[in-house]
Amino acid sequence: MSETSIIGTSVLRPDAYDKVIGGRGFPVNVRLPGMLHGKLLRSPYPHARILRIDTSKAERLPGVRAVLVPSEVPKKKFHPVFFSPGMAASMIPDMLILSDTVRFAGEPVAAVAATSPEIAEEALELIHVDYEQLPFVLDPEATMKPGAPQIHQHAPNNIAMAPAFAFGDLQRGFEEADYIFENTYQTQRVHTCYMEPRVCVVDSDTFGNLTVWSSTQHLFGLREKLASALDIPVSKVRVVRPPYIGGGFGGKLDIGFIEPISALLSMKTRRPVRIEHTRYEDFITTARNPFKVVLKTGVKKDGTFVARSAKSILDTGAHATHGAVVLMVHGMYGFLLPYRCPNSKWEGFTVYTNNMIGGGFRGYGVPQAAFAVESQIDEICEKLQLDPIEFRLKNSHSEGQPHPFEPSFKLDTYRFADCLKQGAAQIGWSGGRSRGKGAGTKRRGIGLACQPLWVSGCVGFPDIYEHSGAVIKLNTDGTADLSMATIDMGSGQTTTLSQVAAAELGVPAEAVRMTYADTETVPFDAPSHASRVTYSAGNAAKAAAGAAKKRLFDVAGPMLKTTPDNLETGGGWVYVKGATDKKLSIADVVKQAESPYVRMVPDGMQRTSLQEKGTVMGIASLAPAANPSPATAEFVEVEVDTETGEVKVLRVVYAHDIGRVINPAGAEGQVEGGFQQGMGYALMENLVFDQDNGACLAADFLSYKMPTALEMPPEIKSVFIESNEPTGPFGAKSLSEPCAIVPAPAIANAIYDAIGVRIRELPITPEKILAALGKLSE
Amino acid sequence: MKKIINLDINGQSQEVTVAPHQTLLQVLRDELGLLGTKKGCDTGGCGCCTVQVDGKAMYSCMIFAMSAQGKKITTVEGLAESAVLDPVQQAFIETGAVQCGYCTCGMIMTIKAYLSSNNSRVPSDLEARQAIAGNLCRCTGYQKIVDAIRLAATRRIATGSQKG
Repeated sequence: MSETSIIGTSVLRPDAYDKVIGGRGFPVNVRLPGMLHGKLLRSPYPHARILRIDTSKAERLPGVRAVLVPSEVPKKKFHPVFFSPGMAASMIPDMLILSDTVRFAGEPVAAVAATSPEIAEEALELIHVDYEQLPFVLDPEATMKPGAPQIHQHAPNNIAMAPAFAFGDLQRGFEEADYIFENTYQTQRVHTCYMEPRVCVVDSDTFGNLTVWSSTQHLFGLREKLASALDIPVSKVRVVRPPYIGGGFGGKLDIGFIEPISALLSMKTRRPVRIEHTRYEDFITTARNPFKVVLKTGVKKDGTFVARSAKSILDTGAHATHGAVVLMVHGMYGFLLPYRCPNSKWEGFTVYTNNMIGGGFRGYGVPQAAFAVESQIDEICEKLQLDPIEFRLKNSHSEGQPHPFEPSFKLDTYRFADCLKQGAAQIGWSGGRSRGKGAGTKRRGIGLACQPLWVSGCVGFPDIYEHSGAVIKLNTDGTADLSMATIDMGSGQTTTLSQVAAAELGVPAEAVRMTYADTETVPFDAPSHASRVTYSAGNAAKAAAGAAKKRLFDVAGPMLKTTPDNLETGGGWVYVKGATDKKLSIADVVKQAESPYVRMVPDGMQRTSLQEKGTVMGIASLAPAANPSPATAEFVEVEVDTETGEVKVLRVVYAHDIGRVINPAGAEGQVEGGFQQGMGYALMENLVFDQDNGACLAADFLSYKMPTALEMPPEIKSVFIESNEPTGPFGAKSLSEPCAIVPAPAIANAIYDAIGVRIRELPITPEKILAALGKLSE
Repeated sequence: MKKIINLDINGQSQEVTVAPHQTLLQVLRDELGLLGTKKGCDTGGCGCCTVQVDGKAMYSCMIFAMSAQGKKITTVEGLAESAVLDPVQQAFIETGAVQCGYCTCGMIMTIKAYLSSNNSRVPSDLEARQAIAGNLCRCTGYQKIVDAIRLAATRRIATGSQKG
């Protein structure tokens, strides 16, 4: 079996069998003997000082083993975000495990560990808290105004950070422009809706060593941030890699309150403590930050950008968490970098409010930017009667140019134009303008949106980890165990990485098995985020397999009476180069390596060589050589009912410059799931809060509406534009996030094409459409 | 007041002590260790906890355990006979319908019930989507799950299986 029969093949997922028969490997299933159950008491107020907490009644309830209050937690502030070290300057440490000031409705104030979840919950009701309610602010613009309640001492005017970037001469650029467009775009707070709730079990020993099982997207991040929050050395924390978790999408990229609280309760009780979120708790724990973007663009008559400026306000809620970096990615990869423009300026504001905290969510600030940028391009093309494809190509980067973010990298493979051309051909695009197609009240339209620049990881980003590691060990039956810290959150990383390792090693795909790992046994890996795993962790898996193969050749050389560099592998065999009849099975070579140095044979003792002895294995820990950019174009056809305001997505074509596809079925799955998330964002999802008291009003799936199978279009067509990225494992670059970035602007543009109204605020609900059509009275 | 009851689960009578407020989901997971049935929301909104009660797909978080007495309960653990997978399980693997897998068992239980009562022909795309409209999935966009339903249905008809 050659490399080409493994790479580019829809190898069946080894975890799928386990998942269809019951899926025991989810963190939610971890049970330990003597385990206690924790519950959190949460503030009903969006901003309040805790004057007194009386836990005496709760402590007397039979079955209660411990109660935790703010005075018992470490006083050192931390930031919970996994992908940067604790000392990273770009992050804002503004959280305590339990604080005596609560800053959003639902922030924990105390916790209980008991012998059952029901007893723990009953105990919460027996805790008496005296709150002093404080003035609060929920509006991200009001919060910056003089006189607004101050949420954190370190942030005057509630501005957590306010970066700005500029190049060229903006004023002159606008003077040279033939046309100037200025619009405001707004996006809402949405939830990742991973299906497995956040859950953890933390056990402790008498020396204060912790062992943690958690539904996390980053093994080492959890170790580091938990140690930081508890103010203990990282070596005191061991995190066990779950075989898989029930989704993440960026929503499990930080420690929650539950891990440090479980740890403290475990240390107090000397028992393992488990805390599982209710769905309500999940909804108020992580979200895609809402943005307001004011976008001003100057263009020449022919559509060339000459000046662009943007001001973005991000509502980060009660704590900065991801908001500090989401803002930067939004500005850079959402606004400044995807297209060329000589004169540009961007200013961003991450502001505190008394809303819930934000988190990561597929696209990380860029869905909010792409909605603005890609909608406005459509507006410009409409006004100037320019072809939206030609317009984008005129202003885009091209293959071979330096990477606009990190010029020491080149855009070695960059096939944006092919995405546009092949996507257009598949949907039947004819300049795109099909306004009013369809009969009567139902109107059809086609929309296009792009993400011309994205990442395959974070190498080149300040303050963010990117290296990955792998250990691979061959067995005497010719199989291999691959051990990595990489978390498979469902997108199939286990399969892809096993395929890469198998292809490099020269064994059938199913011969490589992803196995146990914890933070004490495997090298560091950066989080499963930033569309990075196939590319970045894939390179580590390939390097480890390459090192094991080298060892294999050292053993096989004497056996085949040739030098190690004269060997190759394939299909489970080691061959002499160019002589396929001179071969040994990999299993036999591994057996030789694992056999005794001296063997008894009928003639007496037979020595082998020292070079042959020892387990055949390889390890690697490395950062990838570059950060190649994929590119994406999505075409969507919608039907708008002008009587009801309902939007139905009819057809989707998603074209992606992917380098090389490792597993086609897995890649399609990313596109299809990404569209569901993007369509929910475009049309229906909205995490709404009561403006009078900050309470979440959409904290279950009955009130928070995401697309079911019925709302989804009958077909989402994936078009993968292949090349051969020189720095990628077998030519691969990244995929995941653009799939979820482009649907909202593509749908908005299609709606405009259908009915001629432009909605600049997500979600585009039937009410907004009817109002824009003038069919609703106030 | 806790009470000892018998539940018929996957063809076996199980004695279990339950409190009146305990749901079937809680009892399956926490008392009987049947962890294939998942809790996604506990409010009847996601479908992860779907089991079959007398052949009908139902959210186990919406049923009190005590009210399930005398009924035939099937969980995902009751589908595969020894190492042989149920055709729906097999179709999920082959079509790539499994990503994170947290919704998978609930989906499979819903689809099993649907195919048992609609076994004369392969469902249309729309019918397949209607069948799983009560089960949320956040990974797949449902497309490959629809493929799995149609594949399993096609095979049922080809093999003439009328079995549930």
